[in-house]
Amino acid sequence: MECVVQGIIETQHVEALEILLQGLCGVQRERLKVHELCLRSGPNLGLVASEVRLLCDLEQPEPTWTVRHVGGAMRGAGAEQISVLVRNMVESKVSKNALRLFYSLGYRLDHEQLRVGFAFHFQRGAQMTVTVSSINKMLKLHATDDAVPVTPGIQLVEVTAPASSENYNEVVSSMSSFCEYLAPLLHLSKPGVSTGVVPTAAAAAASLMLDGSGTTL
Amino acid sequence: MSLVIFFFVFFCLFRVLHWHPNVGTTVNTQILNEVSQCVEGINGVKEGRWRATLNFYKPMLKEQANAVEFPRDFLGISLPEQSNKYYFVLRGQHLVLEAESSIQMIMEKLQSYKTRVALSFEGFQYQLGDFQLRVGKVVPIHSEALRGIILEVEYLPLSSWEKSHKIMAEFIDIWQDALSKRSLPGHFVHLETNFAEFGLGDQYTSQHTAVQYARIMAQMIASAHSTQAARN
Repeated sequence: MECVVQGIIETQHVEALEILLQGLCGVQRERLKVHELCLRSGPNLGLVASEVRLLCDLEQPEPTWTVRHVGGAMRGAGAEQISVLVRNMVESKVSKNALRLFYSLGYRLDHEQLRVGFAFHFQRGAQMTVTVSSINKMLKLHATDDAVPVTPGIQLVEVTAPASSENYNEVVSSMSSFCEYLAPLLHLSKPGVSTGVVPTAAAAAASLMLDGSGTTL
Repeated sequence: MSLVIFFFVFFCLFRVLHWHPNVGTTVNTQILNEVSQCVEGINGVKEGRWRATLNFYKPMLKEQANAVEFPRDFLGISLPEQSNKYYFVLRGQHLVLEAESSIQMIMEKLQSYKTRVALSFEGFQYQLGDFQLRVGKVVPIHSEALRGIILEVEYLPLSSWEKSHKIMAEFIDIWQDALSKRSLPGHFVHLETNFAEFGLGDQYTSQHTAVQYARIMAQMIASAHSTQAARN
């Protein structure tokens, strides 16, 4: 299970966001370059259609692979009222032949993308990860070197935190508090709920750039 | 799936042997006890219990007529020495995948494959100098119906498949000699496994073990089919 919120920011303000995050998180950023392959079950496989993602971390000296399954979001009146999406998510690190395995099992490539940017991993009430990345598409199959941005000038910001059925309320609370610090630069909401860029971003970014390295909170 | 009752030996690092019972005989717990006593008879020191599991998966299909498009020999294996890992083997495609054990949860959520047969390999582990031996029974999960007997032998100082050949061959000779004195109703058969076909190198890993398990199970199924055919 994980808690997640997303938002977008103009690329020109990413440097300011990085300064802010550096100050908030108190850790160094990590470079991010992940090739994501979304696979879907073939037409006859499974009683219902299924989807699984293979993530290849290209930042490692030897690329590493992870299988990720994102399940349904938590429902009900309580889930509607909170600003964070709580959903089932399971990951498993696997050896490099995972794509071949899933092809052999009857899965097909639905789409693929390359995420390039940076990430912060830190503890702040919960173990949180903030990723800031551009989403790129490949013009040829698996050609990550020739990927082009899907939305030039716009980057995706995602905040995630692992949670369980016992502690998700606390995680949601921690994440909501953290997101308030980012509010001048971007608005974070549940995935699929587009809120666009915030009008205060330019002024906030300018202020942060003047301030320089940011302040650890 | 019906599995013929027989027992076999699995040499973890270097050999895969299986035991064909003599015609008209079946495997039973007495033979398992004899094998265990034989290990203790050559000064094997009992260390504790071990357990591995093996799942045969089958696709969940909307139309069974198209089943031929999907792999029939899809196995999932958990090994005692890597309790946080899980191994998938597709023998037909010469493919072995190592994953964190959470992959089992992902497979459940995908609802595209389900377990057809689940077997447990469980028994005792022994130390014998530089060798580690595991003797165990093969039983269906939630059943005590004995399907076979397994013995894994690992030579601890070396992890190179090639370099360990000689010493393992010598150990097997000693083992066969010790076991032959008990006049058990069967004999061991060695199954060669071509690890290179699976993209595995000379340095032995748990993926090699998973491939050997899959090889043994294929042999068990083949024997089951031939026995069934002979009866018919």
